[in-house]
Amino acid sequence: MGSERMNAVGAFLRDRLPLSHFSYEEMVGKKLVPVHRMSWGYYFGGLVLFFFLVQLGTGVMLLFYYQPTVSDAHASVEYITKHVGGGALIRNLHAWASSCMIFCLFVHLLTTFAMKAFEKPREVTWVSGVILLMVTFGFGFTGYLLPWHQIAVNATKVGLQSIEEAGQYMPGALADFPRYVKELIQGEAAVGQATLSRFYALHVVILPLLTFATLGLHVLMVQLHGMSQGVDHPTGKTERFFPFFLLKDFSLWGLVFLAVITLALCLPFESLFAYPLFEPFDPLGSTPEGIKPEWYFFFLYYPLELLPFWVVMLAMNGGIVLLLAVPWVFRRTSRRTLSMIAAAAALYLVVMTLFGDAIHTFFKGVPG
Amino acid sequence: MIPRRFLPTAIAFALALPAYGYPEFQQFVKKNSGRGTNCAMCHLHPDGPEGLKPGQIGSLSTEEMNQLNQARAAFEPGQNVSNPILNAFGNSIIGKLGKTKFLQIRMHPEELPAALGDMSDLDHDGISDAQEYLAGTHPLDDSSGEPSRLLLINLRRYAFHLIMMVVATGAGLYGLNAILHWFDVLMSAARDKEEGNG
Repeated sequence: MGSERMNAVGAFLRDRLPLSHFSYEEMVGKKLVPVHRMSWGYYFGGLVLFFFLVQLGTGVMLLFYYQPTVSDAHASVEYITKHVGGGALIRNLHAWASSCMIFCLFVHLLTTFAMKAFEKPREVTWVSGVILLMVTFGFGFTGYLLPWHQIAVNATKVGLQSIEEAGQYMPGALADFPRYVKELIQGEAAVGQATLSRFYALHVVILPLLTFATLGLHVLMVQLHGMSQGVDHPTGKTERFFPFFLLKDFSLWGLVFLAVITLALCLPFESLFAYPLFEPFDPLGSTPEGIKPEWYFFFLYYPLELLPFWVVMLAMNGGIVLLLAVPWVFRRTSRRTLSMIAAAAALYLVVMTLFGDAIHTFFKGVPG
Repeated sequence: MIPRRFLPTAIAFALALPAYGYPEFQQFVKKNSGRGTNCAMCHLHPDGPEGLKPGQIGSLSTEEMNQLNQARAAFEPGQNVSNPILNAFGNSIIGKLGKTKFLQIRMHPEELPAALGDMSDLDHDGISDAQEYLAGTHPLDDSSGEPSRLLLINLRRYAFHLIMMVVATGAGLYGLNAILHWFDVLMSAARDKEEGNG
């Protein structure tokens, strides 16, 4: 009985971690990429990796000048933008690439889901991808505070407050748990130096280390298992991963790099917002209008503004659990149904991101 | 032009005035542009001139108070104004129009851009101060401007840089293409040799 169980565990691990494929020939030389109507979906994972590398490069450059203290953070960011040679370009590139990375991550998640690329034996690839999604949101949330301007500090306050509010819907001793979590993240009674130090440590050390580990596992799994079939009726056509698919991937990286650097050079990220939002945070000053999180949190922010808190929290936590359990929950679902679910999710994200403000105005009479 | 004999009276009158911001301009800008703005468009402090914080009247030294009083007496256009509670844009408005004209325009804030003209661009972002006023963006911050206009202006400004980047990226990809193909040929040859030996 015991050995049977051990054998089953061994078989499970062999299927998920086919280390026998760990060779240049298997992972690169002989690797084939299916060609079909959804082949474009294979490129988005690579784009996310590309933007992560851009973030890494520009982030390290910003580190040379950034000062993580409440007294100097804003001034150091202003110094980078106005006085360091190429500083404005690097900072803009960091801001634009972060948004592009999250956009590509959303598309990668939805296409992977629609193509059923999570099915056995790729469960580890999917789960590591979901963890990377959470880590990327963590990057977004922690990075938003670092410039220490009005929108940064006030939006972080709202975000942290949401964690504490979850406590009122929890039973007994658990009710205090969200408050402890908030205090752990915040580090002091209000958002201040301790918060900035913690967010800085998370943004530049802890989350990158977590990303390296998870991304390493994710990419290794992709290479060990090869590309998923992607469609119900394969065309039978394939192309070699090396060098043909990889070259197309790099060419796309080149085009995307040109697009992002053009944006970074010609359209300051801050120009999309009202200028009072970028003034240094003044705890005694008036709070400007239009405090909001980054656009990629709108799918969560507007429902929080419109619906009872517990409904959104329940949906969000349920959503996270469901995302992690996708390979098991949807293992018998057809690709057609998965595509429809992915399309509905994409529609929700687009509508909330582009029209969330209008929807809020419609229901509440004032902009969100 | 104020007659010379009235000048002391005008200065005394100006000195007696408390420091008020002029919210009519801010209200117009917000209504016209739909963007959130604040006093920092023309004042040093975002909450306006009243108070004790840096850039507000309560924080001024004696020398700065003298500068303030001189600026308050700048009724005629074309004077070099250096009011310590105003930023460069605020001072340029008073310097160009003079206090008298400015106070007249106060009741018609939509006339300010025409009075300023399109010649001045204090932040050198390619959009004139008057246009920035209308758009609700900051005339002293080159990263603040109407996004579509900034994009077009900067595309023209950095056209050469962008062309060079396209050339560099193209060359890089061409080189990478050659290296990867060369590596593929090398690996295939090694594989064929190994299979031949086997």
